[in-house]
Amino acid sequence: MDVLHYLSIGFSVAFTPLNLGLVLAGCFFGTLIGSLPGIGPINGVAILLPLAYSIGLPPESALILLAGVYYGAEYGGRISSILLNVPGDAGAIMTTLDGYPMAKRGEGGRALALSAVSSFFGSIGALILMVIFAPLLSRLAIEFGPSEYVWLMIFAFTCLATMVGKRPIKTIVGVVIGLLLATVGIDSGTGILRFTMGIPNLFDGVDFLVVVIGMFAISEVLILLESWARNDLKMTPVGKSFVSLSDMLAVKWVVLRSTLSGFLIGVLPGTGASIASAVAYGTEKRFAEGHNEHFGEGDIRGLAAPEAANNASAAGSMLPMLTLGIPGSGTTAILLGALLMFNITPGPLLFEQQPEIAWGLIASMFIGNIALLIMNLPLIGLFVRLLSIKQAYLVPIIVMLTFVGIYSIHGDSFDLFFMIVLGIFAFILRKLGFSLAPVILGLVLGEVLEENLRRALSISGGDWSILLNGTMTYILATATVAALVAPKLIKKFKT
Amino acid sequence: MLYDRIFAGALLVLSGLTAWTAYHFDVPFQYEPLGPKAFPIILSIVLAICSVRLIVKPDANAWLPNKEILIKIVSGLVLMVVYAFLFEEVGFIVATTIVGAIFSWLFGEKPLKSFLYALALSLVSYYLLADLMELNVPTGLLFGDL
Repeated sequence: MDVLHYLSIGFSVAFTPLNLGLVLAGCFFGTLIGSLPGIGPINGVAILLPLAYSIGLPPESALILLAGVYYGAEYGGRISSILLNVPGDAGAIMTTLDGYPMAKRGEGGRALALSAVSSFFGSIGALILMVIFAPLLSRLAIEFGPSEYVWLMIFAFTCLATMVGKRPIKTIVGVVIGLLLATVGIDSGTGILRFTMGIPNLFDGVDFLVVVIGMFAISEVLILLESWARNDLKMTPVGKSFVSLSDMLAVKWVVLRSTLSGFLIGVLPGTGASIASAVAYGTEKRFAEGHNEHFGEGDIRGLAAPEAANNASAAGSMLPMLTLGIPGSGTTAILLGALLMFNITPGPLLFEQQPEIAWGLIASMFIGNIALLIMNLPLIGLFVRLLSIKQAYLVPIIVMLTFVGIYSIHGDSFDLFFMIVLGIFAFILRKLGFSLAPVILGLVLGEVLEENLRRALSISGGDWSILLNGTMTYILATATVAALVAPKLIKKFKT
Repeated sequence: MLYDRIFAGALLVLSGLTAWTAYHFDVPFQYEPLGPKAFPIILSIVLAICSVRLIVKPDANAWLPNKEILIKIVSGLVLMVVYAFLFEEVGFIVATTIVGAIFSWLFGEKPLKSFLYALALSLVSYYLLADLMELNVPTGLLFGDL
């Protein structure tokens, strides 16, 4: 069978000593970063990205490392959610609802163990689904022309706008800012300079790394400065840590359902862990009604559901990124940007022409998740102790890593100042209720969107009707309209 | 005044500038119907529409920082700008020690402890980043011959 053949190539890549070491290191640091309150997966991947790039790793190894950080951080995010009631990022908010009450009852260890196992099954389940669906999706996508890609991206932005955040209009503004940033630099079609303001450093376009680090890491430092002045955190004791078979059996259907829904939501472009965990939590709450339900007071079902779902969505969001080149979440947008920096354009051909990258990544994710389960059960005490690291020691490290990472790309101080300017801009955006993921998504997709739009119209000689030509464009256009109206209809039916 | 309105106003100006700049691109030759102007102009129209909607229907101000917090944020910013200046000029070790110590102090550590921590941090990480990972880390004037 084809899939097994490719999977074996993948495992042979993943089992080389370098890649094995990197996946373990990525998972370890990911858990560490995810467990620090306030620093979620997206910041972790952003801070480590320039380092992975500068030390000259081959592309598949860099991707394996960064992906390890990503899903490692999804595991780690639950630790501060459960013990401190502080979610590391939006995807971990639902975990606090039942995790923290359990910790307050003195069952922190039980909650941590159960959530680790749920996370594990969520990830592995989603990975198996990915192995099945990736070849199918890439076979479908191979037929895609420029018009289809234009629709695919519009569909992704629509999903993002209607499902993420409170104000769709603010999400669209974020996307447009990202798309505009992507137009800066030399136009590939005609060679003219666009929006460079005469600054030579911008002739090549804005550097993806500088934008990512500036917007996420620098603005995060400013947010930490702000929030530190307000509160200090109190840790609840962990209690005895154990995995109980009866707990696991009690939540087996919960985990299965949440894995499926988490995977599907992860695959949908633009929607990530935060929506997946919220949907899973809501669904399970309804399922449990009348069955000894204590959601919000420390029900194990309320803990297992969001944890399985957010890890499943992390794996699921890799699927469109690898097969279509359309990231499924903010963090995969950064991973996509990383691949583009290595001159690798993900798309339907990636699975056949560069199997070592796509299948190597998938194989390493199987290994990584097993490693994470092992790390997270006996080593949990270590991560818990690291939680109490003072911000006074943490922030200088973050600042130093961002500066070294950015400086080492070009060895030019201009990038450092540009990064700070972007950080201030991002801080303002965040304070006004804009989220940053749309901006990054716009930035990575900007060039592809413009290129495909121009190519489509070249084919038709300037006739815009080419955008609605062929079955697939109709399907995608309908899906876009559905994504636009469905949330409103659902709201209406509920009331 | 609502922050959203101010910001949306700035975006409106930005979209106008973008469209104007894009419209005046000097394109000597072009082989395709759309060219380099159309995409930015389409984007600026979308941005303008969104800005107008935000001006008409802004959100309430959710961010109400007090003076103490503002001072903290501004000092953090100044510190990062200083770091960017010093980074290449005086080198990684000195810059990181100074800026790291002040950051540590800003987050509530005692002055002497902050300094010792930042010194240790900069020395250890210089070794890790420059020697072990062979990254491009500026040594600076003081340690130029190391």
